[in-house]
Amino acid sequence: MMDDFEKQIKEALAKQDPSPFFEARVLGAVKRQARERRASLRMWWASAVVAMLLVVTGSAWQQHQKAVREEAAGKEAKARLELALKITSVKLQRISRKVEGI
Amino acid sequence: MKFAIPVLLAVLPLAAQDIKMPVSLDKLSAKASEVVDVSLDGALLQLASRFLSENDPDEAHVKRLVRGLKGVYVKSFEFEDRDQYKESDVEDLRTQLKAPGWSRIISAHSKRNGDNSDIYLKTDAGQISGLAIIVTEPKELTIISIIGDIHPEDIRDLGGHLGIPKIEINPNKFDKKDKDKKEDNQ
Repeated sequence: MMDDFEKQIKEALAKQDPSPFFEARVLGAVKRQARERRASLRMWWASAVVAMLLVVTGSAWQQHQKAVREEAAGKEAKARLELALKITSVKLQRISRKVEGI
Repeated sequence: MKFAIPVLLAVLPLAAQDIKMPVSLDKLSAKASEVVDVSLDGALLQLASRFLSENDPDEAHVKRLVRGLKGVYVKSFEFEDRDQYKESDVEDLRTQLKAPGWSRIISAHSKRNGDNSDIYLKTDAGQISGLAIIVTEPKELTIISIIGDIHPEDIRDLGGHLGIPKIEINPNKFDKKDKDKKEDNQ
């Protein structure tokens, strides 16, 4: 019983030569993993750059839209101001004429 | 104390406009054939000012003028027929303009045409801080309120700019009634 067990242990721990192309397979696996890591890193950077571009473009678009809205509001306010000044001026001119005519 | 903040918030816009346009005027819009309603507070005036060019002499002049203003409010109604509004529609406004600080500097009335024009100035510590104009004609009603640092010479200088006709106004021309009233008060 004990002999069988020792035999099994010996067989299990016995030095074995690697299978053919073992080193090549290990090196290939290492290279493949390194390649996959690099590809993953490149993908991460690409995603980060795209996200950053989206944020920058979105922000620039928002700024542009805000500027467009402000310009429209400013031009509208300017036109209303000019109208108000024109009405005021015409009324004052009429009053001035009346007063000078008295 | 609980009501102090809401009351203060309700009063602040009125203080900014200085005189409150009577609500009854809004009803006139339905009867009028033409309505002009311009309401520019300080922020809108500053925004408008940004679009007035410094390089254009006319616009630069108006830009300088606007710098001292806190509000410009104009309501003008033109009617197809006579007597579409009542004097009572502007009575509330005239009452507001009797408040301390305001004084009527010009009052022109024409019985022949039925036109009445009044110019009021507001002064604070000797400085002009507001201008109000009420013009009532049989087929037209115009109310103008300009709040801020505005002087008679500023009003005069409006003429000839931005297509506005050149006007001449003499601020020393008070009507006799006002002059007598002032003398009576002294």
